[in-house]
Amino acid sequence: MAIEVEENRRDFLILATSAFGVAGVAAAAWPFIRSWSPSADVLAQATSEVDISPLQPGQMITVPWQGKPVFVLRRTPEMIASAQKGDSESLPDPAKDADRVKRPELLVLLAVCTHLGCVPQPIGTGDYGGFLCPCHGSHYDTSGRIRKGPAPKNLEVPHYDFKDANTLVIGKALA
Amino acid sequence: MSTIMEWIDKRLPVTELIKSQATEYPTPKNLNYWWNFGSLALTVLIIMIATGLFLAMHYKPDAALAFKSVEHIMRDVNFGWLLRYMHANGATFFFIFVYIHILRGMYYGSYRAPREILWWIGVVIFFMLMGTAFMGYVLPWGQMSYWGAAVITNLMSAIPVVGNDLVIWIWGGFSVADPTLNRFFVLHFLLPLLVFGVVFVHLWALHAVHSNNPVGIDAHDDKDNLPFHPYYTIKDLYGVGVFLIFYCYFVFFAPNAFLEADNYIPANPMQTPAHIVPEWYFLPFYAILRSIDFLGSFSKLAGVIAMVFSIAILFILPFLDRSPVRSFRYRPLSKQLFWIFVANAFVLGWVGYNPPDASLFSGAIPLILIGRTSTAIYFGYFVILWLVTALDIEKPRPVPKCL
Amino acid sequence: MRLIKTFFAVCVAAAMVPVALHASSGAPVLPEQSWSHTGIFGSYDKHAAKRGAQVAVEVCMGCHSISLIKFDQLRALGLSEVEVKKLAEVQGRSKNDRMTSAMDETAAKDSFGVIPPDLSLITKARKGYEDYTYALLTGYPSEAEMELVKKVMAKGAISEQDALEVQSALLINAHDKEQMKAKLERLVGGANFNKYFPGNFLAMPAPISAGSVQYADGTDNSLKQLSRDVVTFLAWAAEPTMEERKSLGFWVMGYLFVLTILLYAIKRRIWAKVH
Repeated sequence: MAIEVEENRRDFLILATSAFGVAGVAAAAWPFIRSWSPSADVLAQATSEVDISPLQPGQMITVPWQGKPVFVLRRTPEMIASAQKGDSESLPDPAKDADRVKRPELLVLLAVCTHLGCVPQPIGTGDYGGFLCPCHGSHYDTSGRIRKGPAPKNLEVPHYDFKDANTLVIGKALA
Repeated sequence: MSTIMEWIDKRLPVTELIKSQATEYPTPKNLNYWWNFGSLALTVLIIMIATGLFLAMHYKPDAALAFKSVEHIMRDVNFGWLLRYMHANGATFFFIFVYIHILRGMYYGSYRAPREILWWIGVVIFFMLMGTAFMGYVLPWGQMSYWGAAVITNLMSAIPVVGNDLVIWIWGGFSVADPTLNRFFVLHFLLPLLVFGVVFVHLWALHAVHSNNPVGIDAHDDKDNLPFHPYYTIKDLYGVGVFLIFYCYFVFFAPNAFLEADNYIPANPMQTPAHIVPEWYFLPFYAILRSIDFLGSFSKLAGVIAMVFSIAILFILPFLDRSPVRSFRYRPLSKQLFWIFVANAFVLGWVGYNPPDASLFSGAIPLILIGRTSTAIYFGYFVILWLVTALDIEKPRPVPKCL
Repeated sequence: MRLIKTFFAVCVAAAMVPVALHASSGAPVLPEQSWSHTGIFGSYDKHAAKRGAQVAVEVCMGCHSISLIKFDQLRALGLSEVEVKKLAEVQGRSKNDRMTSAMDETAAKDSFGVIPPDLSLITKARKGYEDYTYALLTGYPSEAEMELVKKVMAKGAISEQDALEVQSALLINAHDKEQMKAKLERLVGGANFNKYFPGNFLAMPAPISAGSVQYADGTDNSLKQLSRDVVTFLAWAAEPTMEERKSLGFWVMGYLFVLTILLYAIKRRIWAKVH
């Protein structure tokens, strides 16, 4: 009888220790797994901050964001009007200009052609007053929508926010 | 489940192997805690390979980037500091365990027949380990890395005729530089995997002749042996637990205790640090190297030979010890010699740590003299052990008939 | 056997003595400081480190870079974004830049003969660690000490009394009067002397003095306080992950103690049958 109790207690002890040990090994794997996640210096590139105060109407700058170029354009009233006029025209990839901007005067575009990934040329180079991709001749309008050429989709609008009146933050902060 | 195992066992007898070589593998029942250090060394080897593999995913073996990439690991990579400190301190524990493992073998006569090949494979592993550790220390590309690499590779130039060409070949240039770092990185990656393989040959050799034990006689019947599982699995696991407590103390609370401050200065080929010291685990051998300075132009080569021979002598140890008794437990003279040898190794380490021109008692005893004496004692151990046993000077105490 | 054991103990003890023998130059012993971030429970004094960041940027970074840290990281010490931007502007940088000095390396080499070392790891890269950096910053001769040197040198020959006085003030060995005289001559000649720098003479003139920096919160800006703050900052810069390391360490150690006790209990039980 006494021996049986002893056996049971040992079984429990071994079981509990095994579980505890396995949990420890599993926990020890975590730092190894986590070491693959983007490191602090990479995460710091998740967002790009842009001071937009020096931008004059009609002026455009290219800023790097996560290693890719982003166009930031302060649109003139004419550009805005032209973009809004486009809403009612026949578009290969229909989208309202109002849905592509947070402030009508500021257009933020991921400058990667949706055809084969070239970087389009600055504002005013294409038909419709917009951007021309030099590789295969895709024309994007003043809202970054595809109007002519082989590209299937509009230029992508990255996630962005305004930190204050003059500071644009492109991208979402991770972690 | 059992049908699956049966299916497998018919084609590959896994169950049989596990039974005969692990769970039911007969192990002497009287092994003391000094027998834990083999499994501990294997544990550290696994930790080193795991952390090293993940460090290699972030490290850059480029003279211009290496130092920064280590700091990138320390600062930016998630848990990078943990991986790096585990790896750096792991080296220290690896050598502590390997030294104890070797000394245990020396004390209990584990190198004696029929275990010579087992012992030789162990010495080979030790050599491989030293090479791996040396090249690993070069990788952070700090001042100590650089100048340590410069000094140690320069030892090759002592080899007559081909020495200088050999050094240039090893460097891949006219000094330790980018090509050297790159090849050391590759070898530092490769060698531990080879060590891992040789460790299995070591275990194979062990299982062919079975473990020695503190009494030093062969275990005969079932009364002398215990199945490896659960007796030694639990004892080894308990040892691993104790080890991890000490290890983690250093990793988390004193991670730089064994690292040199100078190695946080980026490598500078134009400036040597005031005082170069190797890692602690090389100090005794470094002291032997420096102690041979009285042979004029021959000193350099002699120092290198002495250093290599100080480890290679372990190969012939099985033939030097002629005593009819294996374990020093029953050999009063050998036992004393052994402890002198161990204490002397500490003295050598201490000599190796201090500058070569240092002295004790404000110049009364130059350190170099202590170094020479200690070197003589180091080699003397092997000679005297041979004399004492070959000439039957030692009268062993009676050895028990069973364990 | 007892003799052997004694011999063994003495040898091991001797090997464990951490103090290295000094070859010829007896470097002065560093005064031991107490830092909040040392020891197993230590954490950085964020207020001191924050003040120290200001000292580092306004004073040290005139010549030195701290390139492993970006200005923006200073927010971890409690600096606001505005404060970070202001500090970055001191060196003509913006907040996402690395903390590199506005002075370029060639200009530095022209004025000092050496490129000022990067300070990112300075507290880990010198024997004596933080204590050394602090000792160096506070180890330049004070005005009173300079007076003493001038007074001694004016006499021509150094008397025993003078030598001892100089030794206690500037930590130069009084036994070797020739060497002392040579050093004092260089010192009076305007060379940069430091009590704790190995060899005493260095390229860097005294970087900080009382009042070098004005703290916004009115904290005392004596030489000692400024030095302490900047060393605290540099210690943080050398290892920003230290606090994460220690706090994880306590969990790991706790776990390992419990696990090892459990393993020991099982080991005892299993082996009970054999013993």
